[in-house]
Amino acid sequence: MAKAVPTPTGAGITEEKLSSSRFRLGRWVREGLAAWLPALPLLIVAGAFLLLPTIQIVYQSVHNSELGWTLQFWKDTFQSNGGRKSILTSIRLGLISATIALFIGAPLAWLISRMLTAKRSVWLALMNVSANFGGIGLAFSYVAALGTYGMVTLAFKDIGINFTPPQVGTLASLILAYSYSNVPLFVLLTLPAMSILRTDWMEAAEVAAASRFQFWRYVGLPILAPFFIAGWLLIFTWSLGIYGLAYALGANASAAGQLRLITLYIGLFLNTSAGREERAAVMAALLLGMAAVSLILYRLILRWALRWFS
Amino acid sequence: MVFVNKFARWTFFTAIILYVLIPMLAVLVYSFSTRWTSNILPDGYTLSHWGDSFRDERLRAALWRTLWMAGAVLIFDILLVVPAVYWQRVRNPRIRIFTELLAAIPFALPFIVIAFGILRIVGTSAPTVLFEIADVLPGFLGDRLVSIGNWLPTMLGTPWIILFGHAAIAFPFLYWAVDGSMAAANIGRLNEAAQMCGATPIQILRLVVLPNIGAGLAAGGMLVFATSFGEFALVQILAGARFENISLYSLDLLNNTTSQVEKLAVLTIVTFAILFAISIGVVYLNRGQGSRLLPGARAMGGEK
Amino acid sequence: MSGVSLNGISKHFGNVRALDDVSVEIASGELIALLGPSGCGKTTLLRSVAGLEQPTSGVIRIGGKDVSHEPPRKRPIGMVFQSYALFPNMTIRENVGFPLKVRKESSDKIRPKVEELLELVGLSSQADRYPHQVSGGQQQRGALARALAPSPEVLLLDEPLSALDALVRTRLRDEIRRIQQLVKITAIYVTHDQSEAMAIADRVAVMNHGKIEQIAEPPEIYEDPSTKFSAGFVGNRNAIELASTNGRVEFGGFVSCAAPSIGSQRVVLFFRPEDVEFMEDGSGHPAMVENKLFLGSLSRVYLLLESGGASVRLYADISSRQALRLQIGQIVNVKLQTEHARVFPVDAQ
Repeated sequence: MAKAVPTPTGAGITEEKLSSSRFRLGRWVREGLAAWLPALPLLIVAGAFLLLPTIQIVYQSVHNSELGWTLQFWKDTFQSNGGRKSILTSIRLGLISATIALFIGAPLAWLISRMLTAKRSVWLALMNVSANFGGIGLAFSYVAALGTYGMVTLAFKDIGINFTPPQVGTLASLILAYSYSNVPLFVLLTLPAMSILRTDWMEAAEVAAASRFQFWRYVGLPILAPFFIAGWLLIFTWSLGIYGLAYALGANASAAGQLRLITLYIGLFLNTSAGREERAAVMAALLLGMAAVSLILYRLILRWALRWFS
Repeated sequence: MVFVNKFARWTFFTAIILYVLIPMLAVLVYSFSTRWTSNILPDGYTLSHWGDSFRDERLRAALWRTLWMAGAVLIFDILLVVPAVYWQRVRNPRIRIFTELLAAIPFALPFIVIAFGILRIVGTSAPTVLFEIADVLPGFLGDRLVSIGNWLPTMLGTPWIILFGHAAIAFPFLYWAVDGSMAAANIGRLNEAAQMCGATPIQILRLVVLPNIGAGLAAGGMLVFATSFGEFALVQILAGARFENISLYSLDLLNNTTSQVEKLAVLTIVTFAILFAISIGVVYLNRGQGSRLLPGARAMGGEK
Repeated sequence: MSGVSLNGISKHFGNVRALDDVSVEIASGELIALLGPSGCGKTTLLRSVAGLEQPTSGVIRIGGKDVSHEPPRKRPIGMVFQSYALFPNMTIRENVGFPLKVRKESSDKIRPKVEELLELVGLSSQADRYPHQVSGGQQQRGALARALAPSPEVLLLDEPLSALDALVRTRLRDEIRRIQQLVKITAIYVTHDQSEAMAIADRVAVMNHGKIEQIAEPPEIYEDPSTKFSAGFVGNRNAIELASTNGRVEFGGFVSCAAPSIGSQRVVLFFRPEDVEFMEDGSGHPAMVENKLFLGSLSRVYLLLESGGASVRLYADISSRQALRLQIGQIVNVKLQTEHARVFPVDAQ
């Protein structure tokens, strides 16, 4: 017969109760809850508004009420002229934007990383504001500066230079506008990595009689290059997903069939109730897939970049 | 030591500064001009556009809406993120798997895709699922689920859905900033010390954690604010004209008749000024270092 | 022939004088240690010789040739850094060969030279590893080999052992000295560790506030410090503040010696713990044993003395066998051997 054992809390816990599996289960639940509770709000909100939509989209790209599970939508999208052109143009836009960001952003990131705090802060603020300044405002600035009656366009005319900047809606105009925020974004992404090049390596190279060129060729670039490549990859992926800016600059051209981009394609199928949502879902899933691949590659590149550092 | 030729450096810098500032300059001059079609400078100047803009009800309303939404998103995100990051550092590292997975999504998917997904979930899928479960469950529970299922789609178009949506897509900024901040402040050790002194978790959060992550909190918070401030896709798809924020209004101006375009110029300058102030704030609070924006940013050589 | 001559080297940073008119002649093949606390200018002086810093004034000559305005690249020097500074993306072998590679020497010439150097520093078996795969001590050996690769006239070492564990430190310290003497290369060695400086240098330059306080061979620095700073920094000394009267410093029966000047002033008396004698015959001055520390063959005994209302605390080093017989709280008689004691005015530099 089990006796009630007085415990510090005053509640009597019989020896039977102590060994019951229900008690252990309750304890397990309580401990599990305690381990996760403070994080639950975030996980629930983010899960509901990020994870579920993601699953929803992938689901919609391969399933609908009429056909059940099917790859038909994927086939349709890749076979349609508009679909293929969108993919190709977006990729092309991404490649060019990323490469521009690399060639301007890499030296800029290096130079900023070497500045003293005061000057560095000014440049960082500049990079921050132009990296975050996208969308409609940027589109309008493009028009105001480089449009038909833009300040720079008129300036060229005044001086007599026969040069008109790319018209709004052309691929070139998008490249220019994308670069405005892509270059600073590249700088912000790769800046932390610049500190990996230590001053004493540069001094050791100097003392060893290496010229600046030799330093960069044998030490500097081999160490920094992977980080720049990682940055390139990120900008490429990011460019694929730009919507607001592309819409503001390219909506008209897109409607006229002259400019096709993946994000505009998606927007088109969402805003008009054309009823072919599945196509938009396919494109969205495609973007998701590309981004997933890109993130994996990014992690791999970083690990490779750090192989000489324990 | 920079290892680059000085002249090249100076030309490079000047070119970049010009590229960043000229578009803003053009917009600024535009906002003060009357007619501007032929020369490098406008034909006439006026302050009327600025005056008109600030008298315009619709513009003021859009600006106000955008501001308070961004502020609400910021507070909401802080309440969501800080406890989670704190807990994953001092108690349960496995939380990190989930938080970092979720944080990668806004980077992987453009906002328009996420907006699309939310639209379908809230409007169709979730209610459908709920109704189906309701069929299988006993009366009272089933009724509750049905009423939730009916209520969900009504969320579309309200500011609430925008609040939750923005909080979700902007949280990674705050997450990385706060995580980095806690690492730098060695929160693990501080937490142990505080526990030895007998503090409860809530006390620790309030008295030890929050004061020590101030810089990260502010830097990440400002990025959250900026993200919500300029966000376009979610607002367009999930709320449309019912919640007209600055971006939507700007788009309207852009597509409309020319007489409204000057207002767009004013609005663009105001937006730029707000963002600039935020950027200065971010940099100041980070003491001249870059903010950590991404997964693996830690691995980008930043940690000493 | 490949000595170093520094003449009137000064360096200002705004109002701060990092180096204040420093002049020193370093003989060919000599290893001179620059010893001093942080901020004394020793590293600035070394980097000026390297060409990594530009002095505001002064002339630097290496092997008779004026190199004051030459970039590091053009100076016949090799340098070992505190943080090793081995290039992480090259193997040790490639690191060592780097100075020769950038001088465009052919690989046939480079290979045997590198082998020779690797053997000299004892890294032949680790040569094909990367820096992050070998220990700190091995990295430093690699850095040394790399510094010696271009057959420089002067070897500069900037606190090369600070980043290493104690045991590795002593071993590598002796290695560096052995190699330096073998190769007969002039060397300037910066350190804040006085035992390190004394152990391996031909001469030690004690630096403080941008000036050289004293240059001499280690025994002389140790026995005969010429400035108050030297006396306090080098060697292990008691320092007690007393008042001198009529040109003499006294404290009861403990000490009686001459003061630096006649008259009365406040002075600091420096004396070595091994010079405190325990008197059996009742002479000297009573002292209470406050504490004992066992240090191996020696023990350190902390004593409290009182005289005329003033009290001083000091420590004496005696053999542990002797110390065993003492109890805490016991009163003993002590007297100071004044031969190696030094007295400086309190406000001396």
